Amino acid sequence: MTSGLGWLTRAAAAVIAASLLTGQVGAAGTLREATIGEPPPLDVMLTTADVASTIGRHIFETLYAWDSTYMPQPLLADRDRVEDGGKTIIINLREGVLFHNDKELTAKDVAASMVRWGKFGARGKLLMAAATSVEATGKYEVTLKLSAPNGAWKNLIADVNGGLAIYPEDIAEKAGNKPIEQKDYIGTGPYKFVEWRPNRYVEVEKFGKYKPRTEKSDGYAGARIANFDKIRFVPVPDVGTRVSGVQAGDYDYAEMISGDLYDNLNKDKSVQVHRTNAPIFGLFFMNSKEGILKDNYKLRRAIQTALDKSQALRVAFGPKDLWNADGAIFPKGTPWYTTAGVDGYSPHDAAKAKELAKEAGYTGTPIRLLVSTNYQAHYDEASVFTRQLADAGINVQMMVVDWATLLKMRGQAEQWDIFVTHHSFAPDPVLLTFINASYPGWWDSAEIGALRAELVNSSDQAARKAVWDKIQALVYEQVPVMKVGDAYTYDVASPKLTGLNPNGPVFWNVSTK
Amino acid sequence: MWSYALKRTGTTAVTLIAASVVVFAFIHVIPGDPIYVLLGDTATPDQIESLRHELGLDQSIIVQYLQWVAHALSGDLGRSIFFQAPVLSVIADGAETSALLATMTMVWVILIGIPIGVIAAVRHGSWLDQCLSGAAMLMASVPTFWVGLYLILIFAATLGWLPSSGYPSIFDGGPGNLRYLILPSLTLAAPNAALILRLTRASMLDVSREDYVRAARAKGIRPWQVVRRHILRNALLTVVSAFGFTFAALLSEAVVTETVFALPGIGRLVVQSILRRDYPVIQGIILVIVVIYLVINLIVDLTYRVLDPRVELQ
Repeated sequence: MTSGLGWLTRAAAAVIAASLLTGQVGAAGTLREATIGEPPPLDVMLTTADVASTIGRHIFETLYAWDSTYMPQPLLADRDRVEDGGKTIIINLREGVLFHNDKELTAKDVAASMVRWGKFGARGKLLMAAATSVEATGKYEVTLKLSAPNGAWKNLIADVNGGLAIYPEDIAEKAGNKPIEQKDYIGTGPYKFVEWRPNRYVEVEKFGKYKPRTEKSDGYAGARIANFDKIRFVPVPDVGTRVSGVQAGDYDYAEMISGDLYDNLNKDKSVQVHRTNAPIFGLFFMNSKEGILKDNYKLRRAIQTALDKSQALRVAFGPKDLWNADGAIFPKGTPWYTTAGVDGYSPHDAAKAKELAKEAGYTGTPIRLLVSTNYQAHYDEASVFTRQLADAGINVQMMVVDWATLLKMRGQAEQWDIFVTHHSFAPDPVLLTFINASYPGWWDSAEIGALRAELVNSSDQAARKAVWDKIQALVYEQVPVMKVGDAYTYDVASPKLTGLNPNGPVFWNVSTK
Repeated sequence: MWSYALKRTGTTAVTLIAASVVVFAFIHVIPGDPIYVLLGDTATPDQIESLRHELGLDQSIIVQYLQWVAHALSGDLGRSIFFQAPVLSVIADGAETSALLATMTMVWVILIGIPIGVIAAVRHGSWLDQCLSGAAMLMASVPTFWVGLYLILIFAATLGWLPSSGYPSIFDGGPGNLRYLILPSLTLAAPNAALILRLTRASMLDVSREDYVRAARAKGIRPWQVVRRHILRNALLTVVSAFGFTFAALLSEAVVTETVFALPGIGRLVVQSILRRDYPVIQGIILVIVVIYLVINLIVDLTYRVLDPRVELQ
């Protein structure tokens, strides 16, 4: 036995010595990003998962891209013109753009991608439901014909998230409704796909033949220059480990750090804190199809009247730098900002809420609130609101499930009265999920139906803004959703990184000092 | 011994079939749907139904089960819905991490647990024994995620001696990559070494009261030889059976450690696959874990015989 133990001792010592001697952290020219988890397949056209978009933005490109003020600017497109009262859109492409398989981008690739996006893309229907034809009308010219004008068309094709990423024609045509396979992850981006090791990393490498735009980089728009040879996206689910990893130099960038660490990290010289410029916002969806809240707008207003949104935001996000209790759906400073209806945002008046609930005929029936613990903020907000509603005599029954279950249950109208989610920053109202009548919640009253048509079909910005003002007022009258408030997520990066993008974690134009 | 091994393999097969039915039934009973996870927030019912049909998830559970068994018998565990890769290759990749982590952990467990357990037993009742037993209690009680985060903070973030997380395969970067597993294996070893320490101590105290130990001492054999040859060797029987169980449990229990250290192991893979409802991967992993448990138990039973010739295998 002694000799056995002796052998083990020697083996362990050898392993440790070998480990320490040959250790080398990170390779030169490789940027390592710690993501919150494993992405689903990188067919960005089909999925709206943020992890997939973060990686996919480096590989795939769109015809337009948002600048730092979220205005769409040409990316693969060179110029465009709109004819026939907005019903014909003609887009001319940049010439000489290569896919990662060395084939040149042509109008046929764009047309095929547009057709697939219209049929199966997560946001494809928003534009393509009204499409009567998509054609390559020249080697570098695509013509999209619509049955009615769409004032948001450029915004709808300006990001990869469930959006119109441009794939080679043959790949778009053969893929159909199934996610494209890894060998077909071929785009026109500054980085090309190398490999995906499940649970370990997704690796992309610099595409040597990438032809950047000549305009100055601004947000996702303008020139994209790959300064790193490779980027590795490493799933690191624990937030503490993501932070320690950047502090230790094992990662160069870590995303989605929790609010409780914000103050300390701001003082920590071993990292730089990078707050995004576009807030996300929590949404409590009311069931407009079935149940006690179906069309009882007064009861919905009673619920909102009882709430103090600041309290929920403080619990969910921590320091005041990271949240803003504002009822306007679009934040101040954006072209869509309006104060219409916001008086109803967060009154925190239990007495008035009780009165309204009584007038609405509410007798204490439990209201089923569907929430997931996968997103801590959702659960925190729901817990605070449940308490506040109890003070107003409104009986909420929380149904706590995991995210996969919530996604399924929320599609079944008989299962819930309110469900909790959050919304990414949207640069145009048509991208808001609750405007979409087929999104769970199913807000489709006569009033919103008319306003929605007006918003989509108008191409005049001033007219569209006026319609949006009316829609926001209606959101506070019919309460299809309750906005919790704006929350600013933040990431941490190595202090050596410069050129970080204000729109989010993309690493072209990023370099080391 | 061989007929015993053969008989055990037969019962193993029955256990496997039972386990596969239970696992298949359970994961399909829990609500949730991989298609929603795959397509994200804005997928329409049409898109969901069409992809479900494409992946064969709209067939009855019995048909799906029989298809899975037929493929599994030919060595094909299917394709991961999420990774779009063969389940076997996904598991093999995770198995490398888990096997190395469990092995390294066992090395720590043996190096720490047995010698200290022996010292505590020999110095039974002394202040040294009290201190060591107290330390063992503490190690067994502190949550592994706490130990893990503190080890990262001290040895990676502050001192910079070891990497904080992740594990690049040794096939990619050579044995030097084992340094990624030092902190996680120490984290995982802490509670298990404490248990082995206590078990060694208790078992040695039991054996030391036996008549043959008293006889050995009466013969004038030196005290350390009595401990080594007569007490420890017999006491190890109990400890070895605990090794087998501990090793098998490490493969599936390492979830928290794997999450804290972002290790691409089997434990984290199975939890993530459950959250994503990646049915083929869950089924595949459970099958592999059941096989590992059964094989290790078989090995432990056979090892008894080697350690103690009096044991008869039936």
